[in-house]
Amino acid sequence: MANNHKSPTNDFNKKTKTYLEILGDTILPNQLLFAVLISVGISLGGYNIGLWLLPSIASESMVASYSLLIGILGSVVSLVFCSILFKPKRILVEEETSSESMRQVFKDLQLDPLEELELIENDPITKKELEEFGVLNSFLALREEQKK
Amino acid sequence: MSLLITAILFALLGAIVFSLIGLISGTDETAIMVPLTLLVILLGAPPAAVFSFFMAAVLAKHLTHAVPTALMGIPGDTTAVPLIDHANTLRRMGMPHIALRKMISGGIIGAFIALPTAVLLGQFLGQFADFFKSSTGIIFTLAAILIAFFSKGKWVSVLMIIPFAFFIKSLDLVSFSILDKHLSISFFLGIAIGPIFCDLLFATSSSARKTIERDKPKEYHLAPETKTWKGYFPNPFKILTGRQQVFTSITTFISSLTFVFSPVGMTSLMGEIVGSRTKGAYKKSTTSLAVMNGVTESTYIAEVIIPLIAFGIPLSPVALGPGSPLFNAPPVFTVDPINNLHTYLTSWEFFLYGAIGLIIASLIAYPFSMNYARKASVLVMKLVSQEAIVAMFIGLACLLAFHEAQLVGIVLTFTVAAVGGLLNRILGIGAGVQFMIFYASTWIMTTLFGI
Repeated sequence: MANNHKSPTNDFNKKTKTYLEILGDTILPNQLLFAVLISVGISLGGYNIGLWLLPSIASESMVASYSLLIGILGSVVSLVFCSILFKPKRILVEEETSSESMRQVFKDLQLDPLEELELIENDPITKKELEEFGVLNSFLALREEQKK
Repeated sequence: MSLLITAILFALLGAIVFSLIGLISGTDETAIMVPLTLLVILLGAPPAAVFSFFMAAVLAKHLTHAVPTALMGIPGDTTAVPLIDHANTLRRMGMPHIALRKMISGGIIGAFIALPTAVLLGQFLGQFADFFKSSTGIIFTLAAILIAFFSKGKWVSVLMIIPFAFFIKSLDLVSFSILDKHLSISFFLGIAIGPIFCDLLFATSSSARKTIERDKPKEYHLAPETKTWKGYFPNPFKILTGRQQVFTSITTFISSLTFVFSPVGMTSLMGEIVGSRTKGAYKKSTTSLAVMNGVTESTYIAEVIIPLIAFGIPLSPVALGPGSPLFNAPPVFTVDPINNLHTYLTSWEFFLYGAIGLIIASLIAYPFSMNYARKASVLVMKLVSQEAIVAMFIGLACLLAFHEAQLVGIVLTFTVAAVGGLLNRILGIGAGVQFMIFYASTWIMTTLFGI
């Protein structure tokens, strides 16, 4: 890493950067630590309890498999438990505007809206499809905007 | 008869679990498929049921990972990356639901074309199987060089083949001297969870931590729902136009035959070919999405089935990554000697149990993502935290490693995960390359040093 040789001391002064990005999503480090401990504890715990308890109930050849199953159930339980304990840190923005000005989109993509309209008008299959999906009007609105 | 029912039940399990997993965006395909498939195998599911489970899981995951791709503009996983541009165009035009429907309809068609094509090609290539089986060591080594060259890191991956093989073999000798048996699951679990573990290592390093620090939680923009259709199970052929059906069928057929290339590469290639022949932004985006998702699906399925039927050794990127437990999951399945699905199932059975998996996944995941895409993703994003997901996979890895070799297994897994993960994240030596080197390591070390 390029920044390895920089001194890490100023870390403590900055309290703003509290989140870490793991596998593409943000987490709080302390909570992740506890979550990992809980998950490993429950699944390995479940497995070992199985190994210890099952030989008196199940046939010998199935002990390992059943114990594994208990371990898996343990990790599913820990998923639910950790999700309740540690709430997700995502910010969900539900966009209400559907036609964030079609014109802007075409401008950004460097496309000519009139050319697109013409293609749609001359293609009955696409036109019918857009009509069925109920979005033909937002394309036709392009022409109105263009005229202005 | 009871085997059929077992297969159906496992397919149901795979379809339901992976429909939910697909909604979580940005998940690493190999890191998730490998531990869960291993579990099913080690729990003693019959080979046919394992195959149905895997096929159902693959299709279900791909059908629902289209949801974050279309609605939020975040790739559901690495295979969805090439689709992002077209999905974003439609999302910004306010039509993410159309993007989603085109994608999953294309995916369904791709899956059902790939299955028979791949089974037939696999059977045809099977004639040459004896040659492949008698020289696996050298084939793995050559394949490692080839895959390394085409990986993200390119030359560094080629350079690291011998050192990484040395590393693997050393760990193998140490663990053998402790336990008196050779480990395998612990090794490739380590390679699979490498990327997750690498992020965790970054988090604990006071110098590397800066690269993953963020000052605010990640923001997700979810497009509004515009419900424009009635009924529960829409006909995928009606969602696509005639032209899109033809293009999707042709490209998915072709990509079912090219089983040695990466699905992401084939997807980009086919998408580009079809996209450049289509005029108009709307038509281009919808057609490309249908074709690309279809190609991803068909390449993926073919890459698992063809090497399974023809050789029994993992000779494709998908077989080396997500599909690797189907080839190698000791003590149940092994590659050397070949004793895995290849030996247990005939071509016809591959077709039958594959079809069971695909049909069940379609019945569950397809209407689910068509009808409840938005509600489900809001629910998952609001209820399931990333902490819990990461923790669960670390827990599962510990469990499986412990199951194979107690504490030695756990230490070995995380040693491999640390080295493999850093090589993967920083130098671009992908998990596929590492798996291939793992398989080739015995031959390389025997040839070089006689051990």
